Amino acid sequence: MAFKLTISGASASYGAVRALENVTLNVQQGETVVLLGTNGNGKSTLMKCLMGLVRPTAGTITLEADGVTHDLTKIATEDIVALGVALVPEGRRLFSKLTVEENLMLGAYRKEARPAIARNLAFAYEAFPILAERRTQLAGTMSGGQQQMLAIGRAMMSSPRLLLVDEPSVGLSPLLVSQTITKIGELRQKFGLTVLMAEQNFQQAVRIADRGYIIVHGSIAYEGKSVEDLKTNPLVKQLYLGAVA
Amino acid sequence: MFSFELLLDAVVLGLLLGCFYAAVSIGLSVSFGLLDVPHVAHPAFLVLASYGTYFLSEYGIDPIIAGLLLTPVFFVLGLGMYRLYYETFEKRGSDAGVRGIAFFFGIAFIIEVAIILLFGVDQRSVQAPYIGKSIDILSLRIPLRLVVAFIVALLLTLILTLYLSRTFTGRTIRAVAQDADALRLMGANPIATKQWAFGIATGVLGIAGALLIIVQPVEPTLDRAYIGRTFCVVVMAGLGSMSGTLLAGLILGVAESIVLTLYGASWAPAISFAMLLAVLAVRPQGLFGR
Repeated sequence: MAFKLTISGASASYGAVRALENVTLNVQQGETVVLLGTNGNGKSTLMKCLMGLVRPTAGTITLEADGVTHDLTKIATEDIVALGVALVPEGRRLFSKLTVEENLMLGAYRKEARPAIARNLAFAYEAFPILAERRTQLAGTMSGGQQQMLAIGRAMMSSPRLLLVDEPSVGLSPLLVSQTITKIGELRQKFGLTVLMAEQNFQQAVRIADRGYIIVHGSIAYEGKSVEDLKTNPLVKQLYLGAVA
Repeated sequence: MFSFELLLDAVVLGLLLGCFYAAVSIGLSVSFGLLDVPHVAHPAFLVLASYGTYFLSEYGIDPIIAGLLLTPVFFVLGLGMYRLYYETFEKRGSDAGVRGIAFFFGIAFIIEVAIILLFGVDQRSVQAPYIGKSIDILSLRIPLRLVVAFIVALLLTLILTLYLSRTFTGRTIRAVAQDADALRLMGANPIATKQWAFGIATGVLGIAGALLIIVQPVEPTLDRAYIGRTFCVVVMAGLGSMSGTLLAGLILGVAESIVLTLYGASWAPAISFAMLLAVLAVRPQGLFGR
Protein backbone atom coordinates (compact mmCIF):
# COMPACT_ATOMS: atom_id res chain seq x y z
CA MET A 1 0.00 0.00 0.00
CA ALA A 2 2.79 2.37 -0.79
CA PHE A 3 1.63 5.81 -1.72
CA LYS A 4 3.93 8.58 -2.77
CA LEU A 5 3.79 11.84 -4.67
CA THR A 6 6.98 12.92 -6.41
CA ILE A 7 7.54 16.14 -8.29
CA SER A 8 10.85 16.33 -10.04
CA GLY A 9 12.27 19.33 -11.85
CA ALA A 10 8.84 20.72 -12.72
CA SER A 11 8.57 24.02 -14.58
CA ALA A 12 5.43 25.75 -15.77
CA SER A 13 4.53 29.04 -17.39
CA TYR A 14 1.55 31.12 -18.45
CA GLY A 15 2.57 32.33 -21.86
CA ALA A 16 5.85 34.14 -21.38
CA VAL A 17 5.48 34.32 -17.61
CA ARG A 18 7.42 31.66 -15.75
CA ALA A 19 5.37 30.46 -12.78
CA LEU A 20 7.40 27.42 -11.69
CA GLU A 21 11.10 26.77 -12.14
CA ASN A 22 12.63 23.36 -11.56
CA VAL A 23 10.51 22.41 -8.55
CA THR A 24 11.38 19.18 -6.80
CA LEU A 25 9.20 18.02 -3.96
CA ASN A 26 7.83 14.81 -2.51
CA VAL A 27 5.08 13.73 -0.17
CA GLN A 28 5.17 10.33 1.53
CA GLN A 29 2.16 8.39 2.69
CA GLY A 30 0.69 9.70 5.95
CA GLU A 31 2.67 12.93 5.97
CA THR A 32 1.38 16.46 6.18
CA VAL A 33 3.66 18.65 4.11
CA VAL A 34 3.28 22.40 3.80
CA LEU A 35 4.29 24.49 0.86
CA LEU A 36 5.02 27.91 2.27
CA GLY A 37 5.18 31.05 0.25
CA THR A 38 3.63 34.45 -0.04
CA ASN A 39 1.23 35.41 -2.82
CA GLY A 40 2.34 35.08 -6.41
CA ASN A 41 5.16 32.63 -5.81
CA GLY A 42 3.65 29.70 -7.68
CA LYS A 43 1.88 27.69 -4.99
CA SER A 44 -1.45 27.57 -6.80
CA THR A 45 0.24 26.82 -10.10
CA LEU A 46 1.92 23.83 -8.52
CA MET A 47 -1.42 22.63 -7.15
CA LYS A 48 -2.99 23.02 -10.60
CA CYS A 49 -0.11 21.06 -12.13
CA LEU A 50 -0.76 18.25 -9.67
CA MET A 51 -4.42 18.13 -10.75
CA GLY A 52 -3.65 18.36 -14.47
CA LEU A 53 -5.35 21.76 -14.82
CA VAL A 54 -2.02 23.30 -15.82
CA ARG A 55 0.53 21.18 -17.68
CA PRO A 56 4.20 21.56 -16.76
CA THR A 57 6.57 22.51 -19.56
CA ALA A 58 9.35 20.37 -18.10
CA GLY A 59 9.90 17.85 -15.34
CA THR A 60 7.86 14.95 -14.05
CA ILE A 61 5.02 14.50 -11.58
CA THR A 62 4.31 10.95 -10.53
CA LEU A 63 1.98 9.30 -8.08
CA GLU A 64 2.92 5.87 -6.82
CA ALA A 65 -0.13 4.00 -5.61
CA ASP A 66 -0.26 0.30 -4.74
CA GLY A 67 2.84 -0.50 -6.74
CA VAL A 68 1.71 1.33 -9.89
CA THR A 69 3.37 4.58 -10.92
CA HIS A 70 1.06 7.10 -12.59
CA ASP A 71 2.42 9.99 -14.63
CA LEU A 72 0.16 12.86 -13.58
CA THR A 73 1.39 15.09 -16.40
CA LYS A 74 -0.12 12.70 -18.94
CA ILE A 75 -3.55 11.86 -17.54
CA ALA A 76 -6.74 13.93 -17.40
CA THR A 77 -7.89 15.73 -14.26
CA GLU A 78 -10.84 13.33 -13.94
CA ASP A 79 -8.46 10.38 -13.89
CA ILE A 80 -6.23 12.03 -11.29
CA VAL A 81 -9.32 12.45 -9.09
CA ALA A 82 -10.13 8.79 -9.70
CA LEU A 83 -6.72 7.86 -8.25
CA GLY A 84 -7.83 9.37 -4.93
CA VAL A 85 -6.38 12.87 -5.17
CA ALA A 86 -8.67 15.72 -4.08
CA LEU A 87 -7.98 19.45 -4.21
CA VAL A 88 -9.55 22.11 -2.03
CA PRO A 89 -8.94 24.87 -4.57
CA GLU A 90 -7.89 28.42 -3.91
CA GLY A 91 -10.99 30.60 -3.75
CA ARG A 92 -12.97 27.43 -2.88
CA ARG A 93 -14.63 27.19 -6.31
CA LEU A 94 -17.98 26.06 -4.94
CA PHE A 95 -21.03 25.65 -7.14
CA SER A 96 -22.63 28.76 -5.73
CA LYS A 97 -26.12 28.25 -7.17
CA LEU A 98 -26.41 24.73 -5.79
CA THR A 99 -27.22 23.86 -2.20
CA VAL A 100 -24.69 22.83 0.44
CA GLU A 101 -25.77 19.22 0.20
CA GLU A 102 -25.68 19.23 -3.61
CA ASN A 103 -22.11 20.53 -3.46
CA LEU A 104 -21.19 17.72 -1.09
CA MET A 105 -22.87 15.15 -3.31
CA LEU A 106 -20.89 16.42 -6.29
CA GLY A 107 -17.76 15.79 -4.26
CA ALA A 108 -18.78 12.14 -4.14
CA TYR A 109 -18.90 11.81 -7.93
CA ARG A 110 -15.78 9.63 -7.98
CA LYS A 111 -16.89 6.03 -8.52
CA GLU A 112 -14.87 4.63 -5.61
CA ALA A 113 -16.52 7.11 -3.23
CA ARG A 114 -20.11 6.32 -4.12
CA PRO A 115 -20.59 3.22 -1.96
CA ALA A 116 -19.36 5.24 1.05
CA ILE A 117 -21.57 8.23 0.33
CA ALA A 118 -23.88 7.97 3.36
CA ARG A 119 -20.95 7.47 5.71
CA ASN A 120 -18.93 10.31 4.18
CA LEU A 121 -21.90 12.66 4.33
CA ALA A 122 -22.38 11.83 8.01
CA PHE A 123 -18.65 12.46 8.63
CA ALA A 124 -18.81 15.79 6.81
CA TYR A 125 -21.80 16.91 8.88
CA GLU A 126 -20.16 15.69 12.05
CA ALA A 127 -16.93 17.56 11.27
CA PHE A 128 -18.78 20.70 10.20
CA PRO A 129 -22.14 20.87 12.01
CA ILE A 130 -22.92 24.22 10.39
CA LEU A 131 -23.11 22.44 7.03
CA ALA A 132 -25.81 20.12 8.37
CA GLU A 133 -27.79 23.10 9.64
CA ARG A 134 -27.55 24.78 6.26
CA ARG A 135 -27.79 21.80 3.97
CA THR A 136 -30.54 23.32 1.83
CA GLN A 137 -28.97 26.77 1.63
CA LEU A 138 -27.30 27.92 -1.60
CA ALA A 139 -23.53 27.67 -1.27
CA GLY A 140 -22.99 31.16 -2.66
CA THR A 141 -25.01 32.76 0.13
CA MET A 142 -22.81 31.48 2.96
CA SER A 143 -20.00 33.33 4.73
CA GLY A 144 -16.38 32.85 3.72
CA GLY A 145 -15.61 30.59 6.67
CA GLN A 146 -18.60 28.40 5.99
CA GLN A 147 -17.70 28.21 2.33
CA GLN A 148 -14.20 27.06 3.23
CA MET A 149 -15.65 24.33 5.43
CA LEU A 150 -17.92 23.28 2.57
CA ALA A 151 -14.97 23.20 0.17
CA ILE A 152 -13.06 20.93 2.55
CA GLY A 153 -16.13 18.79 3.20
CA ARG A 154 -16.72 18.47 -0.54
CA ALA A 155 -13.15 17.28 -1.10
CA MET A 156 -13.51 14.77 1.75
CA MET A 157 -16.64 13.32 0.11
CA SER A 158 -14.42 11.71 -2.53
CA SER A 159 -12.69 9.51 0.10
CA PRO A 160 -9.31 10.95 -0.92
CA ARG A 161 -5.98 9.34 -0.11
CA LEU A 162 -4.07 12.51 -0.95
CA LEU A 163 -5.68 15.78 0.05
CA LEU A 164 -4.33 18.93 -1.55
CA VAL A 165 -5.32 22.18 0.13
CA ASP A 166 -4.61 25.47 -1.62
CA GLU A 167 -4.52 28.59 0.58
CA PRO A 168 -7.25 27.70 3.08
CA SER A 169 -6.67 30.96 4.96
CA VAL A 170 -7.49 33.37 2.12
CA GLY A 171 -10.23 35.79 3.08
CA LEU A 172 -10.76 34.40 6.56
CA SER A 173 -10.43 36.08 9.94
CA PRO A 174 -7.49 34.94 12.12
CA LEU A 175 -9.80 32.92 14.37
CA LEU A 176 -11.36 31.14 11.39
CA VAL A 177 -7.93 30.46 9.89
CA SER A 178 -6.90 28.79 13.11
CA GLN A 179 -10.10 26.73 13.27
CA THR A 180 -9.79 25.68 9.63
CA ILE A 181 -6.18 24.56 10.02
CA THR A 182 -7.06 22.66 13.21
CA LYS A 183 -9.89 20.94 11.36
CA ILE A 184 -7.61 19.86 8.52
CA GLY A 185 -5.24 18.41 11.14
CA GLU A 186 -8.12 16.50 12.76
CA LEU A 187 -9.35 15.10 9.46
CA ARG A 188 -5.85 13.99 8.63
CA GLN A 189 -5.61 12.12 11.96
CA LYS A 190 -9.04 10.57 11.68
CA PHE A 191 -8.77 9.32 8.10
CA GLY A 192 -5.04 8.68 7.89
CA LEU A 193 -4.82 11.20 5.08
CA THR A 194 -1.76 12.33 3.27
CA VAL A 195 -1.86 16.11 2.99
CA LEU A 196 -0.06 18.69 0.91
CA MET A 197 -1.11 22.20 1.92
CA ALA A 198 -0.08 25.45 0.25
CA GLU A 199 -0.30 28.30 2.70
CA GLN A 200 1.11 31.74 3.35
CA ASN A 201 0.30 31.87 7.04
CA PHE A 202 3.48 30.33 8.44
CA GLN A 203 2.54 30.17 12.13
CA GLN A 204 -0.78 28.46 11.43
CA ALA A 205 0.48 26.06 8.77
CA VAL A 206 3.36 24.63 10.78
CA ARG A 207 0.98 23.72 13.63
CA ILE A 208 -0.20 20.63 11.76
CA ALA A 209 2.78 20.05 9.47
CA ASP A 210 5.42 17.33 9.65
CA ARG A 211 7.77 19.19 7.37
CA GLY A 212 7.67 21.71 4.57
CA TYR A 213 9.10 23.59 1.64
CA ILE A 214 9.50 27.29 1.03
CA ILE A 215 8.75 28.50 -2.46
CA VAL A 216 10.08 31.83 -3.67
CA HIS A 217 9.54 33.14 -7.22
CA GLY A 218 8.52 29.72 -8.46
CA SER A 219 11.49 27.83 -7.08
CA ILE A 220 11.95 25.80 -3.92
CA ALA A 221 14.17 28.04 -1.81
CA TYR A 222 14.42 25.77 1.20
CA GLU A 223 13.41 22.26 2.20
CA GLY A 224 12.76 21.87 5.92
CA LYS A 225 13.10 18.32 7.22
CA SER A 226 11.02 19.18 10.24
CA VAL A 227 8.95 21.99 11.70
CA GLU A 228 11.91 22.92 13.93
CA ASP A 229 14.04 23.13 10.84
CA LEU A 230 11.60 25.58 9.31
CA LYS A 231 11.21 27.67 12.42
CA THR A 232 14.91 28.22 12.84
CA ASN A 233 15.68 28.84 9.21
CA PRO A 234 17.04 32.33 8.48
CA LEU A 235 15.05 32.58 5.25
CA VAL A 236 11.82 32.01 7.17
CA LYS A 237 12.83 34.67 9.63
CA GLN A 238 13.48 37.03 6.79
CA LEU A 239 10.26 36.26 4.89
CA TYR A 240 7.81 35.77 7.70
CA LEU A 241 9.10 37.01 10.98
CA GLY A 242 10.40 40.37 9.88
CA ALA A 243 13.97 39.78 11.07
CA VAL A 244 16.83 40.97 8.91
CA ALA A 245 18.99 38.03 7.95
CA MET B 1 -69.13 41.00 -25.42
CA PHE B 2 -67.08 40.46 -22.28
CA SER B 3 -68.28 38.01 -19.69
CA PHE B 4 -66.88 36.27 -16.68
CA GLU B 5 -67.46 32.90 -18.30
CA LEU B 6 -65.49 33.92 -21.31
CA LEU B 7 -62.60 34.92 -19.07
CA LEU B 8 -62.77 31.68 -17.09
CA ASP B 9 -62.76 29.79 -20.36
CA ALA B 10 -59.67 31.73 -21.46
CA VAL B 11 -57.85 31.05 -18.19
CA VAL B 12 -58.52 27.31 -18.23
CA LEU B 13 -57.52 26.99 -21.87
CA GLY B 14 -54.50 29.16 -21.12
CA LEU B 15 -53.37 26.86 -18.32
CA LEU B 16 -53.57 23.84 -20.62
CA LEU B 17 -51.84 25.74 -23.41
CA GLY B 18 -49.23 26.85 -20.85
CA CYS B 19 -48.43 23.24 -19.98
CA PHE B 20 -47.90 22.64 -23.66
CA TYR B 21 -45.56 25.66 -23.87
CA ALA B 22 -43.63 24.31 -20.89
CA ALA B 23 -43.27 20.93 -22.58
CA VAL B 24 -41.84 22.41 -25.79
CA SER B 25 -39.52 24.72 -23.79
CA ILE B 26 -38.13 22.36 -21.18
CA GLY B 27 -35.37 21.07 -23.47
CA LEU B 28 -34.24 24.66 -23.97
CA SER B 29 -34.27 25.07 -20.21
CA VAL B 30 -31.51 22.46 -20.18
CA SER B 31 -29.51 23.53 -23.25
CA PHE B 32 -29.77 27.32 -22.83
CA GLY B 33 -30.77 27.54 -19.18
CA LEU B 34 -28.25 25.15 -17.69
CA LEU B 35 -25.55 24.85 -20.34
CA ASP B 36 -25.50 28.47 -21.60
CA VAL B 37 -25.65 27.26 -25.20
CA PRO B 38 -27.54 29.87 -27.30
CA HIS B 39 -29.65 27.21 -28.95
CA VAL B 40 -31.88 29.25 -31.27
CA ALA B 41 -32.36 26.14 -33.43
CA HIS B 42 -34.33 24.55 -30.58
CA PRO B 43 -37.74 25.35 -32.18
CA ALA B 44 -36.47 24.13 -35.56
CA PHE B 45 -35.69 20.73 -34.02
CA LEU B 46 -39.14 20.87 -32.43
CA VAL B 47 -40.80 21.31 -35.82
CA LEU B 48 -38.51 18.65 -37.30
CA ALA B 49 -39.77 16.25 -34.62
CA SER B 50 -43.34 17.17 -35.58
CA TYR B 51 -42.61 16.22 -39.16
CA GLY B 52 -41.00 13.02 -37.93
CA THR B 53 -44.22 12.29 -36.05
CA TYR B 54 -46.23 13.07 -39.19
CA PHE B 55 -44.00 10.75 -41.22
CA LEU B 56 -44.42 7.88 -38.75
CA SER B 57 -48.17 8.50 -38.43
CA GLU B 58 -48.50 7.89 -42.18
CA TYR B 59 -47.58 4.30 -41.30
CA GLY B 60 -50.37 4.15 -38.76
CA ILE B 61 -48.28 4.84 -35.69
CA ASP B 62 -49.99 6.82 -32.93
CA PRO B 63 -48.43 10.32 -32.58
CA ILE B 64 -47.50 9.85 -28.92
CA ILE B 65 -45.82 6.52 -29.69
CA ALA B 66 -44.10 8.17 -32.64
CA GLY B 67 -42.80 10.90 -30.31
CA LEU B 68 -41.43 8.30 -27.93
CA LEU B 69 -39.74 6.51 -30.86
CA LEU B 70 -38.21 9.80 -32.03
CA THR B 71 -36.83 10.61 -28.59
CA PRO B 72 -33.77 8.30 -28.73
CA VAL B 73 -33.16 9.37 -32.34
CA PHE B 74 -33.16 13.02 -31.30
CA PHE B 75 -30.98 12.19 -28.30
CA VAL B 76 -28.29 10.87 -30.64
CA LEU B 77 -28.83 13.85 -32.94
CA GLY B 78 -28.26 16.12 -29.93
CA LEU B 79 -25.01 14.35 -29.03
CA GLY B 80 -23.75 14.93 -32.56
CA MET B 81 -24.95 18.54 -32.64
CA TYR B 82 -23.14 19.42 -29.45
CA ARG B 83 -19.95 17.74 -30.63
CA LEU B 84 -20.10 19.80 -33.83
CA TYR B 85 -20.81 23.01 -31.89
CA TYR B 86 -18.04 22.26 -29.41
CA GLU B 87 -15.39 21.42 -32.01
CA THR B 88 -16.19 24.36 -34.27
CA PHE B 89 -17.12 27.09 -31.76
CA GLU B 90 -17.10 26.52 -28.02
CA LYS B 91 -13.58 25.09 -27.91
CA ARG B 92 -12.18 28.21 -29.52
CA GLY B 93 -12.91 30.66 -26.80
CA SER B 94 -15.02 33.08 -24.93
CA ASP B 95 -16.91 34.78 -27.76
CA ALA B 96 -18.57 31.44 -28.51
CA GLY B 97 -21.90 32.96 -27.44
CA VAL B 98 -22.34 35.36 -30.34
CA ARG B 99 -20.85 33.07 -32.96
CA GLY B 100 -22.87 30.23 -31.49
CA ILE B 101 -26.08 32.11 -32.25
CA ALA B 102 -24.99 32.39 -35.89
CA PHE B 103 -24.19 28.68 -35.94
CA PHE B 104 -27.59 27.68 -34.57
CA PHE B 105 -29.43 30.11 -36.85
CA GLY B 106 -27.69 28.39 -39.72
CA ILE B 107 -28.77 25.00 -38.43
CA ALA B 108 -32.36 26.26 -38.07
CA PHE B 109 -32.42 27.42 -41.72
CA ILE B 110 -30.94 24.15 -42.92
CA ILE B 111 -33.67 22.27 -41.06
CA GLU B 112 -36.38 24.53 -42.51
CA VAL B 113 -35.11 24.00 -46.05
CA ALA B 114 -34.72 20.27 -45.52
CA ILE B 115 -38.33 20.03 -44.32
CA ILE B 116 -39.55 22.02 -47.36
CA LEU B 117 -37.60 19.74 -49.71
CA LEU B 118 -38.88 16.59 -48.06
CA PHE B 119 -42.47 17.51 -47.21
CA GLY B 120 -43.31 20.67 -49.17
CA VAL B 121 -44.69 23.90 -47.77
CA ASP B 122 -48.22 22.68 -47.04
CA GLN B 123 -49.56 22.35 -43.55
CA ARG B 124 -49.46 18.84 -42.11
CA SER B 125 -51.45 17.32 -39.30
CA VAL B 126 -52.00 13.92 -37.72
CA GLN B 127 -55.01 11.88 -36.74
CA ALA B 128 -55.58 10.20 -33.40
CA PRO B 129 -58.58 9.31 -31.26
CA TYR B 130 -57.81 12.16 -28.87
CA ILE B 131 -57.51 14.84 -31.57
CA GLY B 132 -60.66 16.81 -32.39
CA LYS B 133 -62.62 15.58 -29.39
CA SER B 134 -63.51 17.53 -26.30
CA ILE B 135 -64.56 16.80 -22.79
CA ASP B 136 -67.15 18.91 -21.00
CA ILE B 137 -66.46 19.91 -17.43
CA LEU B 138 -69.25 22.07 -15.97
CA SER B 139 -69.74 24.78 -18.55
CA LEU B 140 -66.28 24.39 -20.05
CA ARG B 141 -65.46 22.55 -23.22
CA ILE B 142 -61.88 21.34 -23.06
CA PRO B 143 -60.12 19.94 -26.14
CA LEU B 144 -58.75 16.49 -25.36
CA ARG B 145 -55.50 17.18 -27.28
CA LEU B 146 -54.65 19.89 -24.74
CA VAL B 147 -55.31 17.47 -21.91
CA VAL B 148 -52.80 15.08 -23.49
CA ALA B 149 -50.29 17.93 -23.66
CA PHE B 150 -51.01 18.77 -20.03
CA ILE B 151 -50.27 15.22 -18.84
CA VAL B 152 -47.10 14.87 -20.92
CA ALA B 153 -45.81 18.26 -19.72
CA LEU B 154 -46.29 17.33 -16.08
CA LEU B 155 -44.54 14.00 -16.57
CA LEU B 156 -41.63 15.61 -18.43
CA THR B 157 -41.16 18.23 -15.72
CA LEU B 158 -41.30 15.65 -12.97
CA ILE B 159 -38.87 13.25 -14.65
CA LEU B 160 -36.35 15.97 -15.52
CA THR B 161 -36.56 17.56 -12.06
CA LEU B 162 -35.88 14.22 -10.40
CA TYR B 163 -33.12 13.34 -12.84
CA LEU B 164 -31.34 16.67 -12.39
CA SER B 165 -31.56 16.69 -8.59
CA ARG B 166 -31.24 13.03 -7.61
CA THR B 167 -28.64 11.51 -9.91
CA PHE B 168 -24.88 12.03 -10.07
CA THR B 169 -25.04 12.93 -13.75
CA GLY B 170 -28.00 15.25 -13.16
CA ARG B 171 -26.10 17.21 -10.55
CA THR B 172 -23.06 17.51 -12.81
CA ILE B 173 -25.35 18.90 -15.52
CA ARG B 174 -26.54 21.62 -13.15
CA ALA B 175 -22.99 22.38 -12.05
CA VAL B 176 -21.14 22.37 -15.36
CA ALA B 177 -21.88 25.91 -16.54
CA GLN B 178 -21.14 27.36 -13.10
CA ASP B 179 -17.51 26.22 -13.00
CA ALA B 180 -16.23 23.66 -15.50
CA ASP B 181 -12.78 23.35 -13.92
CA ALA B 182 -14.27 22.81 -10.47
CA LEU B 183 -16.40 20.05 -11.98
CA ARG B 184 -13.21 18.47 -13.32
CA LEU B 185 -11.90 18.50 -9.76
CA MET B 186 -14.98 16.45 -8.78
CA GLY B 187 -13.88 13.84 -11.30
CA ALA B 188 -16.41 14.57 -14.05
CA ASN B 189 -15.56 15.57 -17.60
CA PRO B 190 -17.35 18.87 -18.38
CA ILE B 191 -17.41 18.33 -22.14
CA ALA B 192 -18.90 14.86 -21.83
CA THR B 193 -21.37 16.22 -19.29
CA LYS B 194 -22.49 19.01 -21.61
CA GLN B 195 -22.74 16.66 -24.54
CA TRP B 196 -24.90 14.22 -22.59
CA ALA B 197 -27.13 17.07 -21.35
CA PHE B 198 -27.48 18.43 -24.87
CA GLY B 199 -28.55 14.94 -25.94
CA ILE B 200 -31.26 14.98 -23.29
CA ALA B 201 -32.33 18.52 -24.21
CA THR B 202 -32.72 17.44 -27.83
CA GLY B 203 -34.18 14.05 -26.96
CA VAL B 204 -37.17 15.53 -25.12
CA LEU B 205 -37.94 17.43 -28.34
CA GLY B 206 -38.95 14.08 -29.84
CA ILE B 207 -41.98 13.87 -27.59
CA ALA B 208 -42.46 17.68 -27.62
CA GLY B 209 -42.62 17.66 -31.42
CA ALA B 210 -45.34 15.03 -31.26
CA LEU B 211 -47.27 17.28 -28.86
CA LEU B 212 -46.89 20.23 -31.24
CA ILE B 213 -48.47 18.43 -34.18
CA ILE B 214 -51.17 17.07 -31.87
CA VAL B 215 -52.01 20.59 -30.70
CA GLN B 216 -51.82 22.34 -34.08
CA PRO B 217 -51.05 21.67 -37.75
CA VAL B 218 -47.40 22.32 -38.61
CA GLU B 219 -45.64 24.04 -41.50
CA PRO B 220 -41.88 24.30 -42.19
CA THR B 221 -41.47 27.84 -40.82
CA LEU B 222 -43.53 27.31 -37.67
CA ASP B 223 -40.32 27.34 -35.63
CA ARG B 224 -40.20 31.13 -35.94
CA ALA B 225 -43.39 31.45 -33.89
CA TYR B 226 -41.80 29.34 -31.20
CA ILE B 227 -38.48 31.13 -30.84
CA GLY B 228 -40.17 33.90 -28.89
CA ARG B 229 -42.33 31.53 -26.88
CA THR B 230 -39.62 29.07 -25.86
CA PHE B 231 -37.06 31.73 -25.00
CA CYS B 232 -39.70 33.74 -23.14
CA VAL B 233 -40.60 30.71 -21.03
CA VAL B 234 -36.98 29.75 -20.30
CA VAL B 235 -35.86 33.28 -19.40
CA MET B 236 -38.98 33.93 -17.33
CA ALA B 237 -38.41 30.62 -15.54
CA GLY B 238 -35.01 31.69 -14.31
CA LEU B 239 -32.37 29.94 -16.37
CA GLY B 240 -32.33 26.24 -15.70
CA SER B 241 -35.23 25.81 -13.33
CA MET B 242 -37.48 22.92 -14.40
CA SER B 243 -40.41 23.68 -12.10
CA GLY B 244 -39.94 27.35 -13.00
CA THR B 245 -40.29 26.35 -16.66
CA LEU B 246 -43.66 24.80 -15.94
CA LEU B 247 -44.85 27.88 -14.04
CA ALA B 248 -43.50 30.28 -16.68
CA GLY B 249 -45.22 28.23 -19.38
CA LEU B 250 -48.50 28.57 -17.48
CA ILE B 251 -48.09 32.35 -17.19
CA LEU B 252 -47.39 32.71 -20.91
CA GLY B 253 -50.27 30.37 -21.79
CA VAL B 254 -52.80 32.28 -19.69
CA ALA B 255 -51.54 35.67 -20.92
CA GLU B 256 -51.77 34.61 -24.57
CA SER B 257 -55.16 33.05 -24.07
CA ILE B 258 -56.64 36.14 -22.38
CA VAL B 259 -55.23 38.49 -25.01
CA LEU B 260 -56.53 36.20 -27.72
CA THR B 261 -59.99 36.23 -26.17
CA LEU B 262 -60.16 39.98 -25.54
CA TYR B 263 -58.25 41.44 -28.48
CA GLY B 264 -58.15 38.75 -31.14
CA ALA B 265 -55.66 36.25 -32.50
CA SER B 266 -53.38 38.69 -34.28
CA TRP B 267 -52.00 40.04 -31.01
CA ALA B 268 -51.20 36.70 -29.41
CA PRO B 269 -47.79 36.07 -31.04
CA ALA B 270 -46.51 39.45 -29.78
CA ILE B 271 -47.19 38.52 -26.17
CA SER B 272 -44.19 36.25 -25.76
CA PHE B 273 -41.72 38.84 -27.05
CA ALA B 274 -43.31 41.54 -24.91
CA MET B 275 -43.04 39.37 -21.81
CA LEU B 276 -39.49 38.33 -22.69
CA LEU B 277 -38.42 41.97 -22.91
CA ALA B 278 -40.31 42.88 -19.76
CA VAL B 279 -38.65 40.09 -17.78
CA LEU B 280 -35.19 40.98 -19.09
CA ALA B 281 -35.76 44.62 -18.14
CA VAL B 282 -37.29 44.13 -14.72
CA ARG B 283 -36.03 40.83 -13.40
CA PRO B 284 -33.29 39.35 -15.60
CA GLN B 285 -32.66 36.44 -13.25
CA GLY B 286 -36.19 35.24 -14.03
CA LEU B 287 -39.25 34.94 -11.86
CA PHE B 288 -38.28 31.64 -10.31
CA GLY B 289 -34.50 31.77 -10.67
CA ARG B 290 -32.03 31.67 -7.85
